[in-house]
Order: sequence, then structure tokens, then C-alpha cells
Amino acid sequence: MSEEKKTKKSESSEIERILESSRREFLKKAGLSGAAIITGAAAIYAGFRHEKGKRPENVIKVLTPDNRLVEIPADQVKDYKPGLKVFQTRGRAGLKGKKWVMLIDLSKCRNARKCVTACQAAHHLRPYEYHMNTLIMQESVNMPAYYMPKPCHHCDNPPCVSVCPVDATFKRQDGIVLIDNERCIGCRFCMAACPYSARIFHWQDPQNTEEDKGEIYNIELNVPQKRGTISKCLFSADRLRDGMLPYCVSACPNGVYYFGDENEDAVTNGTTKETVSLKELLKKNGGYQLLTELGTKPRVYYLPPKNRLFEFEEPDSGTQGEKS
Amino acid sequence: MNRLLIILLLQLFPVILMSQGWDTPADKKGKLSPFKFTDETRIVGEKLYLLNCKSCHGNPGKANFINLVPSPGDPATDKIQHNSDGEIFYKVTTGRGPMPSFKNALSSNDIWNIISFLRSFNPKYIQAFQPEIKSAAYPGATINISLLLNKKKDSVIVKLTAISPKIIVPVINAGIKLLAKRTFGMMPVDEDKTSDMKGFAAFKIPKGFRGDTAGNVYFSLRFTDEDKFGAFSKDTVIKAGEITIPQSLVKDRAMWNNVRKAPIWILLTFSLGVMSVWGFIFLVLFKLRDIYIVGEYLDKNPGKEESELK
Repeated sequence: MSEEKKTKKSESSEIERILESSRREFLKKAGLSGAAIITGAAAIYAGFRHEKGKRPENVIKVLTPDNRLVEIPADQVKDYKPGLKVFQTRGRAGLKGKKWVMLIDLSKCRNARKCVTACQAAHHLRPYEYHMNTLIMQESVNMPAYYMPKPCHHCDNPPCVSVCPVDATFKRQDGIVLIDNERCIGCRFCMAACPYSARIFHWQDPQNTEEDKGEIYNIELNVPQKRGTISKCLFSADRLRDGMLPYCVSACPNGVYYFGDENEDAVTNGTTKETVSLKELLKKNGGYQLLTELGTKPRVYYLPPKNRLFEFEEPDSGTQGEKS
Repeated sequence: MNRLLIILLLQLFPVILMSQGWDTPADKKGKLSPFKFTDETRIVGEKLYLLNCKSCHGNPGKANFINLVPSPGDPATDKIQHNSDGEIFYKVTTGRGPMPSFKNALSSNDIWNIISFLRSFNPKYIQAFQPEIKSAAYPGATINISLLLNKKKDSVIVKLTAISPKIIVPVINAGIKLLAKRTFGMMPVDEDKTSDMKGFAAFKIPKGFRGDTAGNVYFSLRFTDEDKFGAFSKDTVIKAGEITIPQSLVKDRAMWNNVRKAPIWILLTFSLGVMSVWGFIFLVLFKLRDIYIVGEYLDKNPGKEESELK
């Protein structure tokens, strides 16, 4: 019994001792760590003060979308690459306040086909795939033949858009009809609906499939093209976003194309860069449109092949009149 | 230098006689480049040439120009090289027949750069150039231009005055043109005018001339005679146009492929149609259920008559 008591007593004293020592230890440790924390904090604060006082050596001035000029350290600047979502959102909306029109003066066309090749180069098309083609027109035996460039007519009442079952092809506020090949299922209803035969279908792997691998699909350029989807003239929506004339319009050496904004009643010639009133030009030259009786309301105008600058020459068969 | 020039001219004399008639006005023939042709101007000119001229004229010296009437010709040959700098400048600027005018497509400096490139194919060529003279007509004076809309709002009145420390005089007989800014270029308003004895000129604004959402038009006034007055322009915004409120081409409902744009009557007809078909199907199902219940009841109470159920 007494032994038991003794052990109990010694146990309690042991605990007391431990408690006592730990209190001492604790105070010691607390003191030490406290000092360390204070020194560390002081060091960090000093460093922070130093960094704050130091002006970053490489800062670049950047203009934000809301027109504020801000400074950013050069090493934090990253190149902005719009992603697919951005391309799709802005591509679907279109450019505000614009109403694009194209005018084709048939009297100046000599089948140089520069528009065709420029277009094919921009949209990665093969030589036999056309967004824009120069057709040889002869309405009847007694009628003279002439050349007629024919792009997509970007109708205000587009039959292709009406028939698309997946909302892949659509009309924008600035009048352009585009295709989202990320949505297109390749049913080709739109090809059947288009009275101007403006659309093509990629039956095989498109041109530059290997080179374009990994590129982000740009809805306004339709590049990279995809097998099993539709492609057509886009009025070079990507160039218009940058304030430039379409590829075909600027490539023409003969002043066939005029392009502009109907809201401004002005069209600019791609070759001579002459800007004229659209209404005046149509009125003075007897402008017309194709297949208006279908109610498609096209955005492409033609001037008749009157007083032709170049004689009609029968092109070599098979090459669609390509000239070297 | 002069002697060399004379020898050169004598050598080219027969060529001049042989060439077809595309006459340059006498006063334009002697026009000279405002700068000296160097390797830099040649390189700039080459780029411009490849972009604007190659499609018809081919590569100089390779005779790969296309077959047109009149023939465009190879610029490295005498057909084009016999022209004076001023003549080439005039022909590129004005154009003729199949050759388009590059007046609006290229600036005068661009054209001089192209001539610099073309002359690099002519080993006999020696350049004479003339630094640009600004406002040769009114030396020492700055030209002040003011643009105003008249009271009827159908024309823009231009007033030109030459101001020097000594004197203020109206600029008379100055050829001017008024241009309006459009998306892809400057559109001429009315015809080119000449300032009158008081330095005034009026440009008529056509009916229905389009302005922006507030009717504002960005105008630029330029001299047609750049040699005399220099490449000078006065840019200003005047409320001279018709107010144009751009309308979105997709604001109306149409028979298009998405529900957001579909006409209301289609939405209504379609929804009602779907609802009535489903309603009919459910009606049949409920009736079948009623028959089943009646059948059950009659099975349990064999004595009852159908008429008693009601």
C-alpha cells in the first residue's frame, strides 16, 4: 500500500517535473522562435521595401480595350492568340455598323484569274476547288461570250442558312454568310439549296492538311479546312476585320472589283483604289444582280459586259481558261 | 553630264520615232523625281512593282509580259526605257485602255520608287532629280485652309489664304479637290475646283450623301497641283452628311435554322401542333385505362350490367 503511494507520489512528481521542464523549454523555444519570426519578417519586409523602391527595368506600355494606358513588366507579357471560342464568338457577331457589298465590272474582266489564285492561296484550296471562279458565259448562240467572276452572293435571305440542320452556316449583322466547320456535319443540304452554286465540299483531305495540323480553326478564314465539311467564299472576313480589302479584290490587275460599305454608299476599286458612290455607279452603268427573282436578296452587284476592255478569247479546254 | 544626256537622247532618237503615240503633255514630260534613286529606293520599288505591275508587264528583262493589245511590253527594253522619268510618271498615273490608272493606288513617292527600280535595268541611265519645292507659288508663306458648310447645307465652302509675316493674300487659281473618308479609301466629292480671285471655292454635296450616326463626314482637302503647292492636305470633320443609323442585317426574324430567329407564327404553330399530337395520344391512353378499369369491375361483380355503372 505504502509502496503504491510512493510510486503514485513519484509519478506525480515526475509529471510535475516534466511539466516544469516543458514550461521552461516552451518559454525558451517560444522566445527563440519569436525572435526568428521577427528577424525573418523584418528581412522580408526590408526585401519588399527594396523591391518596391526598385523600378522594374523592363516595363512596356500597353493599351487596354477600354482605352487605358497601363504598364506591364516585360517578362509578364504573353502573346495574345485568340482561341477557338474567340474566333467563333466574334466570327458569328460580325462587324458592327457595316453592310458589305461587292460590285463586279464585267466589262473589265480578261480572265486573268488572279482573284481565283489569290483566294485559293489564302484559303488553302486546291487549283480545282473554287470559292471564286471566272466562268465563261454565253447566253445563246448569237450572244457574245464574256467572262464572269462568281463569288458567294452573301444573300440577305440566304436559302443555305434556312436549310442547315445544325446551325453551322449563319448570317452575320454585316451581311456575310459564314460556316462554322466545327459544327458542320457535312450533310450538303446548303449546297443543294444555293442557287448560285457557291459552295464546295471537301471529299478528300484538303490542301495543306499536314502543315495546318494544330492550327486553331479560324471561322473567318475557314482555315484549316476539314475533310467532310463545306467551304465557300467568306468575303475575306478576316481581312475586313483588319480594315483591308478582300484577297480577290486586291489581287485583280484589271480593276474588275469594287468593294465597300453600303451604309456609306461607297465602294473602292481594288486595283485603282478609286472610291466612288455605289448608287451612282449602278445608275450610270446599268448594274444588276443575279437571280433576284428567287428572293434571295444578294449582296453582289454586276455591271454589264458593255464596251469590253479585252476581247473574248476561247481558253484552252480543261484549264478553265487559266492564263500564264 | 549634259553631254552624256545628249548622247543618250541621240541614241534613243530612232526609238522615239518608232514608238506608238501615247503622248504626254509637254509640261509633264520634264517632271523629275524629288529624290535621288538609290539601292533603297530600288528595293522598295521592286516590291511595289511585283505587287502592282508584274501581272501584266512580267519580270523586267525576261520578256514574260502577257499578250494584250496594245502590248504592255517589257519595262527593261527600249519600249519603256526611252520614256523620260516624267513620261513614265505620267503614264503610270493616268493609265490608258487596259492599263489602269495608279493615281489613287500609289502615292507619287511609290511611283518614283518603281521608276527607280525600272531604271536599274538601264545601264545608260543617268538620273537628274529635283528636290521638292513647297508652295512655289507663294514662297515663304504658309497656306491656311478653312472649310465651312454653307447655310443651305448643300455645299462646302473652301477659303484659301497665304499667310506670311508681311502679308495675307488669297490663294488664287489653285486646283483643289475635296475627298470624303470611307472605309477603304477617300471618295471625291463633286469635281475638282479652282479657287477664285478671292481664294474661295464651293463643292456641292450630292443629295443623300451619307454621314455617320451624327451626320458627320471626315473631309480632306488636297491640291491637285502638287508641284506648285506640295503634297499638303487639310483634314476636318463637318456635319454635312445624312444621318445614317446602321441596321443589323440579322435583326428581323426569318425562316432560318435556329429558334432564336424563327418567326413567331412558326414557333406558335409548331408548339401547338406538338401539344395537340401529344394531347391526342394521352387522350387515347386515358380512355384505354378507363376501359381497363371497367373491365376489372365487371369481372369482380359478374351480376352487374354495364348500364348500372353510370
